[in-house]
Amino acid sequence: MTDRPHQLTADRPDPPSRPLIQRIGAILWPSFFAAAVATVVFFIFVDPLVLRDMTFPEMNISRQGGYTIAFFMFWAATSASSLFTWFLLRPASHFRKPQG
Amino acid sequence: MSQTAPETESIPLYIKPPKVYPRETSGRFSRLRIIAAWVLLGLFYLLPWINVGGQQIVLFDLVNRQFHFLGLTLWPQDLFILSLLLAMAALTLFFFTALAGRLWCGYACPQTVWTEVFLWMERVTEGSRNKRMKLDKGPWTRQKLARKSAKQFLWITFALWTGFTFIGFFVPIRDLAVRVPTFDLGGAETFWLFFYAFATYGNAGYLREQVCKYMCPYARFQSAMFDDNSLVISYDVARGEPRGSRRRDADYKEMGLGDCIDCMACVHVCPTGIDIRDGLQIECIACASCIDVCDEVMDKMGYPRGLVRYTTENALNDKPSRIIRPRIFIYLFALLGLATLIGVILTGREPLIADVLRDRSALYRVIGSDLENSYSLRLTNRSDARMLVTVDAAGLPDIRVVEPTRELALEPGQTTDVPLTVAVPLIVAEPGMQVMTITATDAETGRVREIETRFFIPQNPN
Repeated sequence: MTDRPHQLTADRPDPPSRPLIQRIGAILWPSFFAAAVATVVFFIFVDPLVLRDMTFPEMNISRQGGYTIAFFMFWAATSASSLFTWFLLRPASHFRKPQG
Repeated sequence: MSQTAPETESIPLYIKPPKVYPRETSGRFSRLRIIAAWVLLGLFYLLPWINVGGQQIVLFDLVNRQFHFLGLTLWPQDLFILSLLLAMAALTLFFFTALAGRLWCGYACPQTVWTEVFLWMERVTEGSRNKRMKLDKGPWTRQKLARKSAKQFLWITFALWTGFTFIGFFVPIRDLAVRVPTFDLGGAETFWLFFYAFATYGNAGYLREQVCKYMCPYARFQSAMFDDNSLVISYDVARGEPRGSRRRDADYKEMGLGDCIDCMACVHVCPTGIDIRDGLQIECIACASCIDVCDEVMDKMGYPRGLVRYTTENALNDKPSRIIRPRIFIYLFALLGLATLIGVILTGREPLIADVLRDRSALYRVIGSDLENSYSLRLTNRSDARMLVTVDAAGLPDIRVVEPTRELALEPGQTTDVPLTVAVPLIVAEPGMQVMTITATDAETGRVREIETRFFIPQNPN
């Protein structure tokens, strides 16, 4: 068998986790970027004031307020997706209790 | 290998990477970097303050949904031009990466440029590399407190000024400058000011090289634009090895040594904390500090410069280096094509847009001796001035517009949908889908838009 450095074998178990700060960064930062792009594209087609009148006309939301709220909603959605991806990629061995 | 211990216990939650204390450099490339920083930061901090004809020349006015960019006014529906500009920026990056490696990282990236400024402030307040290391190791004395406070004061002030300037690209900055001292800011303005200030402070003050190593996507994919003919910063192994210290007048060749005196200067200046002599590394942002410092050392030793230098993989392996190659042309042509496209779109932009859609609920109507067709007319004013639009029809005998009856007023950037009714006398009508033209004329500028559309005349209207 050819030696591939990323191949996991019995004597070469899962790599250790990345430091916490790196994990947080790798989840928050790409989702931040994706949310920014989504916000821009969304508001090319939608005027926040029109959206407000359709949804919460009684609330006093400015255009800037609308942009900001939408950005954070997008960021919440994209970072939730990134978080889920990380969650699925966690190697089981890191959580397995030592046997007997 | 002692990998048998249960991993749950051996995983540290947070490994603090060793802090990098880059030593200051001087020389050709350092000068270039400082010039680039002045130009780029100058543009950033000054552009929002420049007004032409009472209009801030770069203002992404989100509140009024219009973008002012070097004399152009763009509306949200023009934003695809901005995305073309971004695509052009990306291609430019590809082109320069293929040509000269990570020029962007070393000289132009905001991360590098702001880090440079923050490092300069650190040097002003805490002193040189050795002094900084000693200060961090030493106990909290009054002097340490004073120096650290001074640094924090400079950093925070500069970061807040940066956040303020950033907001100034989206909200008229002169108006903002009046409102800041009295804290008369909206919620969104306040939030983004502090958010951007904090991001600057954190990225340039603390994260620094870690942004390049762990956060930057470009660092990960730039190797796709690289080939053996791209300029990289490299240590000349053949010339330098075996490395070792020696006295200046020593006959090092006799001693069996190469040109590298192993002074570690190239490691001490590196802002990402790597050793360039280990070969090309993903962490290297090509800032060329190691070239400058090594040249200095070579000068002192009386050896020729360029032990660490800009070179190509091919040149290092004694193969011919070619700068002109297909990859360069592909990027260049794509770049020129895109630039032409943007130019054509910008010069051909019509200030008045008109669309005519047939009303689908009824093909025709007979009113008295007239046959009417109904449409929906959409008008958009993409200019900076108010428009007064009159609508006419032509192309059929005695054709006339029944509705709208008056001129339509359009504010800058406004889009309006109005019902449009066109009529012909029953007797002149030739049956079938007839071609006709709707004209929209702006009374203010005299600009005319013509839209060709269809008029339906039935075989037997009654």
